[in-house]
Amino acid sequence: MGYALVLVRSASLNLEAFARATGTHPDLVRRLLALGVLDANRDAAGELWFATGQLAVMGRVQRLRAGFGINYAAVGLVTDLLDRIAVLEAALQEARRPGR
Amino acid sequence: MPGGPRADRRDFYEILDVPRTATQDEIQRAYRQLARQNHPDVNKDPGAEDRFKEISEAYDVLSDPQTRRRYDAFGADFRQVPEDVDPEAFQRSRAGAGAGQARGAGGAGAGPFGTGLGDDLGGINIEDLLGGIFGGRGFGPIPGADQEAELELTVEEAFQGGHRSVTLEGPDGRRTLDVRIPAGVTNGQRIRLAGQGGRGSEGAPNGDLYFVARIAPHPRYRVEGRDLYVDLPLAPWEAALGTSVAVETPRGEMKVKVPSGTSTGKRLRLRHHGLPHPRGNAGHLYAEVKIVVPAKLTDEERRLFEQLAAVSTFDPRRR
Repeated sequence: MGYALVLVRSASLNLEAFARATGTHPDLVRRLLALGVLDANRDAAGELWFATGQLAVMGRVQRLRAGFGINYAAVGLVTDLLDRIAVLEAALQEARRPGR
Repeated sequence: MPGGPRADRRDFYEILDVPRTATQDEIQRAYRQLARQNHPDVNKDPGAEDRFKEISEAYDVLSDPQTRRRYDAFGADFRQVPEDVDPEAFQRSRAGAGAGQARGAGGAGAGPFGTGLGDDLGGINIEDLLGGIFGGRGFGPIPGADQEAELELTVEEAFQGGHRSVTLEGPDGRRTLDVRIPAGVTNGQRIRLAGQGGRGSEGAPNGDLYFVARIAPHPRYRVEGRDLYVDLPLAPWEAALGTSVAVETPRGEMKVKVPSGTSTGKRLRLRHHGLPHPRGNAGHLYAEVKIVVPAKLTDEERRLFEQLAAVSTFDPRRR
C-alpha cells in the first residue's frame, strides 16, 4: 500500500500551494482564515504563508465537515473544544498516574 | 474468490443498534450518536475509524428507504441483485432453489449489472463504494486522522529502550507494527509512527499513529519524570551509625554510603542513575531511607535497646 507524501519539512506554504496540497479551493482557505479556523502569516508583500502544521488542521476540518455535515463556522467551535478536551484529558491522565 | 465475503460482516441494523422496525428518524438518531462517538477526530482509538466506517456504511444503506427495502429483501448481497427483481419473487425462488443459486443469478446475471458488481464483489468492497470514509462523496481527497494508542512499558524497557511488536485492529484487518522504544522514554511521551494512522482518501496522506508511553507500576521503582525512587530499608543502628549498602538500580547493584544520623524520609541521591535522556543528562535515582525495626527482639537485643533507652536523652518529638 502506498501513500502520497506531503511536503513536511518546508517551513511554510503560500496560499496557492496550501490549497493545492489540501485539495481545496483558495477561496475556502481564505474563508477559513477569516473564521479563525486556520492560521497564517502575511508577509510584507501581502502574501499569505501557512505553516505546515496547518495541513493537519485543514485535514481535520475536512473530516469533520464530511463526517458530520457541520458548517465551517461550527467547525471552528468543534476544533477548539476538541483541543481543550485533549488538554484536559492529558491533565487527567497525569493526575491519575500511580505512584505519587 | 478474490476479496471474498467477509465472514464477520455484521447486520446493518445490529451495527446501528436499532430494531428492524426502526423508523427513519430512529435510524438517523442512532447514526448521529454513533458517528459522534466514533469519528476519528473525536475518538483517537485506532479501532474507531473502522467502527465509523461500518456505521457510515450501515447508515448509507438504511437511510435511503429504497435501498433499505432492498437490503431487507435481499440481505447483505442486495447490491448484486438486479434492480428489477421483485422481492417476493426473489424470496420464493430462494426458498425453492436455495440461497446459492439465487446469489448466482445476481453474479452471472445478464445486462449491465452482471459486469459491474458481480463476481469479485461477493463481499461488497466498502472502499470502492464509499471511497474510504470521507472521499467519494464530493469532498475530494482528505488526509487521514492521527490516532493514539497507549503503550505500557516496564521501567526496564524505558531504561534500556528496545523493540516491541504491537498488533492493532485496523481497516485492513490486523496489522503488526514494530515499535522502536527509545531509551529514556518517559511517562506520557509520544512515539510517532508516521503514516500508520487513519487512512487518507483518494491518495491523500494517512494520519500518524502515536503511541503514548505509560510506564507500568513497578514493585521496586517509582518513576517521576526521569527520576527513579527506590526504598532503602535500614536497621536503626545502620541509620544511626552510618553504613554502606547495596542498592538495586536498573543498571545493576550500586553501593550507597549512608551517612551517620540518617532518618526515615532522607533521600540519598545517585546522580544520573535514573532514566537516561537521549539529548541531555539522565535523571537521578533516589534511595529513600526507611528505618525498619525487628518485629521480634531477641533477649539480647531487648537488653541493649533498654540500655540505650536509659542512657539516651534523644527526643524525636522535641520542638
